Amino acid sequence: MEQIARAAALLGAGICMGIGALGPGVGEGFVAGKACEGIARSPENANLITRTMLVGQAVSESTGIYSLVIALLLIFST
Amino acid sequence: MTVTTEILQIASYLGAGIGVGIASLSAGIGEGYTAGHTAHSFMRQPKAGDSLVNSMLVSQAVTETGAIFALVIALLLIFGGFTDPAGGWFKAAALLSAGIAVGVGSVGPGFGSGYSGGQASKAIGRMPKQNNAITGNMLIGQALAQAGSIFALVVSLLLLYSTPNQPADATLGEVILKCAAFLGGGLAIGIGTLGPGAAIGFVAGRANDMIGRFPKERASIIKTMFLGAAVSESTAIYSLVISFLLIFAI
Repeated sequence: MEQIARAAALLGAGICMGIGALGPGVGEGFVAGKACEGIARSPENANLITRTMLVGQAVSESTGIYSLVIALLLIFST
Repeated sequence: MTVTTEILQIASYLGAGIGVGIASLSAGIGEGYTAGHTAHSFMRQPKAGDSLVNSMLVSQAVTETGAIFALVIALLLIFGGFTDPAGGWFKAAALLSAGIAVGVGSVGPGFGSGYSGGQASKAIGRMPKQNNAITGNMLIGQALAQAGSIFALVVSLLLLYSTPNQPADATLGEVILKCAAFLGGGLAIGIGTLGPGAAIGFVAGRANDMIGRFPKERASIIKTMFLGAAVSESTAIYSLVISFLLIFAI
């Protein structure tokens, strides 16, 4: 039984990281795409736009990192 | 239950079918999107015909990459001779997982590359003189987007060739454990590259469109594109790490 539980944890780790990477990836890409657009339209604000983009991406990234942590926990501490 | 040649064949054929089927989906849609925008641009700028067709063909070739990877893995699965029953359930799980990994892993990059190509055609239609700058940027963006499908190909080949055979004295628990780890590794890289692949394509597409509209800002647009694409790629790399851990460290 223990090994079945561990097997479920391992399968869960894979699914967790896979699906967890989906959202941040799409979100960060959307931010970057819109930032390219913004810089093209108002180049004088390039620094401000880049800064906003990075802050936005850092926040989006957080759920990806949660998935990574949970996946590592599932692999190593179950 | 001992593994027979038939079970390994079932796993291989299932993996091959699922892989090529899913991978073709996004490549088809992506290439169609590019062709659609190219046709639309023809209407606006019939004189730019040659450069539009060139850009479209290059873009479609790159978009096809993921589907070709899946095709190669499927052919290996079908004809590669992975039918030795000594591999046991370990091998059966690895074969199925290899097909799923490369198939699902090609979806995001396929959509992304197609979007990038479509936006490039649109931009060339608007500003035919910027043809070279736009096509160049399109290719860089598509190369970044395809990184995900290359990760999936690597994991898939490792699953095919570097996974151990099932030891004769393996208990049921060990077998279930290892099978779950292999399936989890394939799913992690497969689904994990979906988001980054599609998103990097989106970044490249917006950058192409904007280089077409504001060619003077090219340098800063490309800089932002690289920065944004690198951050988007990070989750694909997390997935790759988890998938290596699941395949080799368990």
